[in-house]
Amino acid sequence: MKKYQLAIAIGLAIFATNAAQADGHSAYADFPITVKNYTGSKTNSVSYGGQVARHLLHTSLKKMSGSGNGAPNEKLNAKLTSYFAGKAEGRVIVSPASKDGFPLKQVKIDELSKGKNLSGKAYKGSVPGWPGNMTGSEVLAFMLDKASSTTKGYDPVLAYDYGQLFSKTAMGAVFYNQAVDNYLDELLAANKKPNDKPYSEGAAYTGKEHVWDEAFGYFGAPAHALSLDAKTLYSIAKGDPKVMKAADANGDGKIDLKTEMTFGHAYYAADADKSGKTQYMNDIVKAFIDGRHLLADAKGQKLSGAQRGALIEHAKTIKLNWEKVIAEAAFKYAGSVYKDLKKLQKTEDGVEVRKQFRNYAKHWGELKGFALALQMGGKDLGGTAVQLNRLIGFSPVSFTGDQVTGVTADGSYIVEKTVDMGEYMIQMAKAQNVLKGAFGLKVLKNEITDDMAVLSAKLGEKKSAEND
Amino acid sequence: MIELFHQVVNEVSNTFFDPTKRIFIGYLLSALLVALLWMSINQSRTFINSLSLIFSRKVWFSSSAKTDYALLVTNRLIMLLIAPLLLGQLVVATFLFEWFHHFSAPQPFEDWPSGLVMSLFTLTLFFMDDASRYWVHRLMHQSTVLWQFHQVHHSATNLTPLTIFRTHPVEGVLFSLRSAFVQGFCIGSFIFLFGSSVDLLTVFGVNVLLFMFNTLGANLRHSPISLPYPKAVERWLISPAQHQLHHSTNPQHFNKNYGVFLAVWDRWGGTLHYSVKTALDYGIEQHGEKIDQPLWQVYAYPFKVNYHKATSFLKQARKRVKFSL
Repeated sequence: MKKYQLAIAIGLAIFATNAAQADGHSAYADFPITVKNYTGSKTNSVSYGGQVARHLLHTSLKKMSGSGNGAPNEKLNAKLTSYFAGKAEGRVIVSPASKDGFPLKQVKIDELSKGKNLSGKAYKGSVPGWPGNMTGSEVLAFMLDKASSTTKGYDPVLAYDYGQLFSKTAMGAVFYNQAVDNYLDELLAANKKPNDKPYSEGAAYTGKEHVWDEAFGYFGAPAHALSLDAKTLYSIAKGDPKVMKAADANGDGKIDLKTEMTFGHAYYAADADKSGKTQYMNDIVKAFIDGRHLLADAKGQKLSGAQRGALIEHAKTIKLNWEKVIAEAAFKYAGSVYKDLKKLQKTEDGVEVRKQFRNYAKHWGELKGFALALQMGGKDLGGTAVQLNRLIGFSPVSFTGDQVTGVTADGSYIVEKTVDMGEYMIQMAKAQNVLKGAFGLKVLKNEITDDMAVLSAKLGEKKSAEND
Repeated sequence: MIELFHQVVNEVSNTFFDPTKRIFIGYLLSALLVALLWMSINQSRTFINSLSLIFSRKVWFSSSAKTDYALLVTNRLIMLLIAPLLLGQLVVATFLFEWFHHFSAPQPFEDWPSGLVMSLFTLTLFFMDDASRYWVHRLMHQSTVLWQFHQVHHSATNLTPLTIFRTHPVEGVLFSLRSAFVQGFCIGSFIFLFGSSVDLLTVFGVNVLLFMFNTLGANLRHSPISLPYPKAVERWLISPAQHQLHHSTNPQHFNKNYGVFLAVWDRWGGTLHYSVKTALDYGIEQHGEKIDQPLWQVYAYPFKVNYHKATSFLKQARKRVKFSL
């Protein structure tokens, strides 16, 4: 009899757990409307379509920046500008695109949100890691302009991959900056976007609810991210048909870009977590969901000091882990650049050299973009930023030891002799050391000195007083 | 404080269960076996007689041996405190690895067979380690200042495997630096030249050559058992008896046999002495008597002597300057 009672108790517990997950509490979705006197037709208060629209502007711009024909291209430039700074209706989602086994629900940016662009939300401070004393927005515009004059976004002389440069820099200047320096920082203040008022007149969400939603939208995770493993989340961003079923949370046979796609920083969090050494995605998304629960539980009332304090703690968790995600990516690409340089120094075959040089440019663009991104979260990185900027420089080092050291008033690059490729390899190792020390990284992919650390650990330190 | 105490206790007990340590229980047992075999075959001693000689109370409970035991614990505590300040091999390796980039692209030989690279690394590390031990040991004897620290080890009047712990911490620091430079050099240069295929040939996680050395009775170097090798072998390998001769109070044996594993360094350095059949007396004599210091003096005495030597040198120097003026 006792066995039956135990079985029933266990069954009920499992049912209760499943029921709790099924009500949307393990996903960033379906939170109730708490705005007082709401008269509209909406049934839930979650809204971050504008942020997803910006993700799509970003992915589309990255794709389009690689379509230049090698000459100044006004048409392309105008198209890039319309996505970057325009607000026009009818803009098509260039990337990601539907494919067999992985169809997308939306085809136009407007289906997510109308009138959005990136320039209006880009970092307004100066970017010392890029020449020309420009703001974040100006740097992005500069990169797109340069990209439009190249062949497929690649400058083979200076080894610039503008697609990568733009993409990673934009991830910092727009998405990271907006989320951690605005929504999870200034807008959590008691007098900003209060929770006892709608975000805007007639809105289905309170001020704080929408602030929180927008920050979540900028991170780029699918709403049901907590129920997926890192590999799946990573593959969703790649549009892998094998993960279609897992990605399609509502089972309608299409990927809803608003809630079922992995974008931007969430993709890199998943990339890091695949190592099994971290759980950045889980920590970040869980903090977002916990924070959203807190807001739902406030039931449209002004947040108490304790509630706001708890919300700020969730924000801190998100910011800390988000920063690590970016630093892990920069670390990884510093290692990739080192490997590329090694291959370049060994390769003599002309075709192979060109191929390797292209990889070098790509990886450098990713490294540089992430290093810049780290500096646009509104936090003064002090000496860490200075060291990273000096070690990475303004461009990759060429075979002849040339490197970009500045830009002229008309936007032309100034190129000078700096260090040779061997020295630059050392700088990559040092950049990894700076990142590892400053951000307490764990994944450390492509660590240049990893082989030495492993061997050293195997030999052991002889720090005991023993004679022979 | 309690945590530190636990750490010391752990480290001391782990010393006997860690195959990378000379006094790993397995090596102690193998040394015992070698000694028993040697005494049975060459000295026709009975098993009981051999055991009573090996585990002689006069040796193991001597004042000298008790100091060794105490030093095992106190030195562990001191080294635990200063270890974080010491240069590590990874720092040296990283510095060299980066510095080599100025001269060549890294890993020019990364396609070499991994077995060959591993053998090369294991051998190079072993030879460099052994050679550097010889030279540092020689320096400890020949430098007046350093000798004051190294005499702590030589003041042992009875030798047991634990006499290796009869070491002044200053000497421990020098050994640690030697190891950091040798290992750091080998790691940094091999990884630079050969890449990730570099590895150590090991048995139970220990350098295969070191494992052989320890298994074949390295602990007999500091023991009451005199085990010589044939002369032809002692030209190449230092026998336990040759190392015991290094501890002898006979002036004819002073500054001989600095080597650990290979005898070639002593041969090339003119310091090789073959083992002798006569009984040896150990320790350091001063004014006709053996030094037998209490524990605190073991630590303080070298500093005291060096301080007196330094002040007397300065006084004499001043006198000379005055006289010349």
